Amino acid sequence: MRFVADFIGALREAGLPVSPAESLDALNAIKLLGLENRKTTKTVLALTLVKRQTDQVIYEQLFDLYFTGVEKVKQTDSDKLLPEEQKNTSEAGLGENEQESGADEYAASSALGQSLNQKQDMSLAIAQAALAEKLSSIVLFTQKNHFAYKIMQRLGDEALSAEIRADASSPAQKDLQRELIKSRARLLEQVKDYVEQQYMIFARHKGLKFREEHLQQAKLSQLEHIDYTLMQRLVQRAARKLATQHSRRRLTRKRGLLDVRKTIAANAAFDGALFHTRWKATRVDRPKIVAICDVSGSVSRVARFLLLFLYSLQDVIPKVRSFVFASEMVEVTQLLEQENIELALEEIMQRWGGLSTDYGEALAGFQEQALASIDKKTTVILLGDARNNQGDGRTDIWQKVFRQSKRVLWLNPEQRNSWDSGDSIMSQYSPWCSSVEPCRNLKDIEGIFSRLLKYS
Amino acid sequence: MIIKHQEKIASVEIIQRQFEALGYICSSSVATAIYLACHLQKPILIEGPPGVGKTELAKITAAYLNAPLIRMQCYEGLDESKALYEWKYGKQLLYTQVLKEQLGDVLRGARGLDESIARLHDFGDIFYSQEFLEPRPLLQALQSEGGAVLLIDEIDKADQEFEAFLLELLSDYQVSIPEIGTVKAKSTPIVMLTSNNTRELGDALKRRCLHLYIPFPDAALESRILATQVEGLDAQLREQIVALIAELRNLPLKKSPAVSETIDWARALLLLNVETLDPTWVKETLNLLLKFQDDIELVEPEIAALLKRVS
Repeated sequence: MRFVADFIGALREAGLPVSPAESLDALNAIKLLGLENRKTTKTVLALTLVKRQTDQVIYEQLFDLYFTGVEKVKQTDSDKLLPEEQKNTSEAGLGENEQESGADEYAASSALGQSLNQKQDMSLAIAQAALAEKLSSIVLFTQKNHFAYKIMQRLGDEALSAEIRADASSPAQKDLQRELIKSRARLLEQVKDYVEQQYMIFARHKGLKFREEHLQQAKLSQLEHIDYTLMQRLVQRAARKLATQHSRRRLTRKRGLLDVRKTIAANAAFDGALFHTRWKATRVDRPKIVAICDVSGSVSRVARFLLLFLYSLQDVIPKVRSFVFASEMVEVTQLLEQENIELALEEIMQRWGGLSTDYGEALAGFQEQALASIDKKTTVILLGDARNNQGDGRTDIWQKVFRQSKRVLWLNPEQRNSWDSGDSIMSQYSPWCSSVEPCRNLKDIEGIFSRLLKYS
Repeated sequence: MIIKHQEKIASVEIIQRQFEALGYICSSSVATAIYLACHLQKPILIEGPPGVGKTELAKITAAYLNAPLIRMQCYEGLDESKALYEWKYGKQLLYTQVLKEQLGDVLRGARGLDESIARLHDFGDIFYSQEFLEPRPLLQALQSEGGAVLLIDEIDKADQEFEAFLLELLSDYQVSIPEIGTVKAKSTPIVMLTSNNTRELGDALKRRCLHLYIPFPDAALESRILATQVEGLDAQLREQIVALIAELRNLPLKKSPAVSETIDWARALLLLNVETLDPTWVKETLNLLLKFQDDIELVEPEIAALLKRVS
């Protein structure tokens, strides 16, 4: 049963949501069918623990890794035999041997040496030692050697090494020492294998989780290219979470107050007896969004994730128009509606990113292309640092945008105290924004969209 | 559920063998799921592509255990008055009429309002009672004496609210009716839910169920299924069919042919007296296997190449 409990722990580390109730089911099922047949065990645990199709692959990998280890241990038989006992019995056995064969053969004095000399299978002892050293708490691959060392210590390596190093007084003892060196190398190999296997089971996913948590808080503008793919997955996951939360709200349409007028009209045919009810439908507005992203310099990285987030939300906000600008305003809506959003983003950043900014010119372009289509249902989101290279900001256009739209959000990838420093003209725009918010990491983006969906 | 013949569910192998005798060839994981459902008294959530025999499994289980099969098809807008119970409004109205006529007898000789009301209370209130309850599938399953197999088909088609409503039934085998109270199962039914994965089901629901995924069968299993389902099919032709279907499933189709379609196709070929697969026959009958024009257009030019690989 311990094996199963440990295995469930490993599954949880790998990100499968296994609840205590499910663990109990699994244990009950195992009680019914036993652990003897590996195939049955696999089926039983899959039935009770794995509830999502996507988790199936992870489960199968882990199961194979884990139960190969378990079976090895089980082969050494006698479940609860402690290493000490094992050593004692071996010692006793050796004692008899000595008496029989007389004193001409030299025997190893350390307990570990004796076990090794008798060619006992050490897997059980290793597993026990690993348990005592809490190997399952391993997180980073750099810890592997450390754990291997500790397990060796617990197995009694110190005494063994001492014996190997001791001055040999007779050729027999020398032979023994050579033998012991070889056995010790073999044992070390075995311990390392075991640690490696356990690391694969317990830590691989822990490391990932650790990094993901870190990434959520990380500044988007300083993200390394290497983290992009992982980050994209995180963004999409967060967007999906929001989408499911808010898609539920569509159902409120079906409820609502009784529409008395319509009900009476609908039942006129029944002489006023009310058979059918008519309800006042509550309409849930889907926000119409116009996103404008500065793609110059450091803002471009944040823009990338903002756009990715926006388009991952297409289920709940289907109407999005997007523009990007450095000095010239370009509409990229069509480009982004293609199937592969990542490629589209790449292309946008390459074609328009990295140029110097001119907010005045860009806003003039926006006025021409899109100002007419902004109405009282539109939310305008602008992502930019408002660093305008000393040019004219054309706040008059921004004022018009603010007047015509439902709401204007300005997201600034810099932190508050660097606004208005240098060539930043944030304070010129901020009077014409419903709110100005810093937008530096994924958490910020998620929060902003969550509020947007909730109150629109 | 009180299973009349305990020996029928004594082991996974027995179940698998007996299902086979009834004409339902299944893998051992399916049999294990049935075994656990019977012994742990847990509902099974069955997922898998359409046409792999999810609904059929429930039917065969009911037949095997000699229990009635109560089936509830889910759809959008399904609510408790259609799934659980409904009051018999007509009879309730009649009851008030009858009560009105009896009122004179009941209240005769009563002095003052207080006494009348006291007598009225003694009369017993059956307006909301079992007599006027019209049981729908879920309640029927709970009320059936010897236990039943309850099939909740295509749960993913129902609303999320309905899913939440099922939770009490699935974990405790009871439902709450506000006017009456909690109705407990007379004998725990075996519950099976099927889903085609049109939407992700809630975690709460999944937690309460055993989760069985039935994939497309492998070639050996499918061949055995064909052998039992289509009698008189030549063994060589059967192997060819199975191999071709396996090839088709590897193509990027909108809808891959399922087991049920394989069976239909094999029956058609048998009817047409086809002895060996050749491109013309396959072309003629392809619409039995593929249900989208796009898919047919994709496969048609490939037929010759596919057949070559198969034989």
